[in-house]
Amino acid sequence: MAKKRIDDYEPGPVPPPAPLDRFGFVKRELSYSHDGSMKERSAYEYEREERRVRKWRKMIGVGGSDWTYYVKRKPHVVKRRIRKGIPDCLRGLIWQLISGSRDLLLMNPGVYEQLVIYETSASELDIIRDISRTFPSHVFFRQRHGPGQRSLYNVLKAYSVFDREVGYVQGMGFLAGLMLLYMSEEDAFWLLVALLKGAVHAPMEGLYLVGLPLVQQYLFQFDNLAREYLPKLGEHFTQEMINPSMYASQWFITVFSYSFPFHLALRIWDVFLYEGVQIVFKVGLALLKYCHDDLIKLPFEKLIYALRNFPEDAMDPDTLLPMAYSIKVSKRLEELKQDYEKKNQKLVQSTEFNEKQQQSQERFLSSKRS
Amino acid sequence: MARRADEEYDYLFKVVLIGDSGVGKSNLLSRFTRNEFCLESKSTIGVEFATRTLQVEGRTVKAQIWDTAGQERYRAITSAYYRGALGALLVYDVTKPTTFENVSRWLKELRDHADSNIVIMLIGNKTDLKHLRAVATEDAQGYAEKEGLSFIETSALEATNVEKSFQTILAEIYRIISKKSLSSDEPGPASIKEGKTLVVGGSEENTKKPCCSSS
Ligand SMILES: Nc1nc2c(ncn2[C@@H]2O[C@H](COP(=O)(O)OP(=O)(O)OP(=O)(O)O)[C@@H](O)[C@H]2O)c(=O)[nH]1
Ligand SMILES: [Mg+2]
Repeated sequence: MAKKRIDDYEPGPVPPPAPLDRFGFVKRELSYSHDGSMKERSAYEYEREERRVRKWRKMIGVGGSDWTYYVKRKPHVVKRRIRKGIPDCLRGLIWQLISGSRDLLLMNPGVYEQLVIYETSASELDIIRDISRTFPSHVFFRQRHGPGQRSLYNVLKAYSVFDREVGYVQGMGFLAGLMLLYMSEEDAFWLLVALLKGAVHAPMEGLYLVGLPLVQQYLFQFDNLAREYLPKLGEHFTQEMINPSMYASQWFITVFSYSFPFHLALRIWDVFLYEGVQIVFKVGLALLKYCHDDLIKLPFEKLIYALRNFPEDAMDPDTLLPMAYSIKVSKRLEELKQDYEKKNQKLVQSTEFNEKQQQSQERFLSSKRS
Repeated sequence: MARRADEEYDYLFKVVLIGDSGVGKSNLLSRFTRNEFCLESKSTIGVEFATRTLQVEGRTVKAQIWDTAGQERYRAITSAYYRGALGALLVYDVTKPTTFENVSRWLKELRDHADSNIVIMLIGNKTDLKHLRAVATEDAQGYAEKEGLSFIETSALEATNVEKSFQTILAEIYRIISKKSLSSDEPGPASIKEGKTLVVGGSEENTKKPCCSSS
């Protein structure tokens, strides 16, 4: 058993201390800070934050006991509060409650441990190769073979065993990394399962399966939505030969966690976990809309650059998100999905796929989700 | 719209960077376009894009480079970018034999998705890691000759041969292009035949822009 595991390595030297932002990212001089704390927070704001936390605690109850009840009775209140942002200190817990991952965890005791300790994965080397390339500027993940990197490795390896069809795909590390900043390894693993297998919303695994089928579908849908919503810009994109795969793949594959300011990514995740992938489309459209008048003037190269480097004011959650919420997409998304499926009649193939997959996971799950 | 001086060029060449994940494609690109190397670089998701304008054989050439994610599964999106590329830099890591063994699979990818006359250069990167070298220069050299590729070894970290590798492939593309336009009796460096949008005479008014043809 001479398998190389990341646990066999000595931790590397602790990186030299550097100024960090509120979320633990190394501060960069010229770029925006991740926490958007350019402005000092006033005493008033602190008080407001405290009041919010108290409200949220009441909503959750002791150990989450009141949550289900609250969500059933007052879903719109929950939705509204989530859209305003989950208080950072409660984020980890709430994410697990709204995603259904906590139920999975409780139903499957010991499974995570088994996956981490006893199973081996064909993706181990791929995962190791990417570990130090995931949130490299965050203090938790910076130290080579340090606790952050070990947890990240364990979660990704466990997932790659749990779902061998998906295995490990570049980009998943950013999901797991984001989760690990708010919860334990085991909790993060089940949140990953809840998302990819679709515990509450549509499964995300298609983003990572062979052929990246869901990426292709989402890009198709986004392209059409953008053209319908912003026809002038759509025309400009056609002229400049720009398509969404040039800038938006990572929006979907990592749910904005790859390169967006962290404080914005978190706010998007709050909504994403409660409302589903629609918010990714909405935020994307809102970004295009916000920058519309600039984008429409730019030639190809500058356009690509602008689409990958939105200005700081566009990425202020309190401006961008209300704009995103006001865009309605659900009906068109459904129609476009059907258009896409008509275009690509590969249904037979994908059902075969799912059956095989089910078998491989049933080994690990004691009971299936409802 | 009048073109600014820094945007003037005689030719626009589209080049793709391919090869296994982690071999250093993104760092070769950042070294070439911005003279930067990043030990803390993120893995590429999908495609990245950068350009640099430089002198090649006395001409001003704009290199438009598409950097792709190396993991096999990403080929579903990245292979669309091969189309219309005039050159491909196929990178492996001299410390990782598997990345060299996979070169033949990448060549097949190019054959399946790229234009048949694409210029290909094999690049062995990370030569600074001397004590870890696991692919001999001669082996790669021999392989490249057999397959008709040009070959060079680089270190993005130490900036060794990076400039030279891009210069070489761009010059090679230039030679092929200029020969073509001569034989087809076209006046000066205009576009090659049949509406390929890839090569652009910079002096034309409505210069056709980018050549990315993926849809
Ligand atoms: N020592 C050394 N390390 C390098 C060199 N080039 C890249 N690296 C390192 O190798 C790792 C991978 O480099 P990337 O440029 O991200 O690799 P890539 O080919 O773009 O990988 P993907 O985006 O996943 O396809 C990084 O940690 C780099 O710092 C080099 O010339 N020498
Ligand atoms: Mg890369």
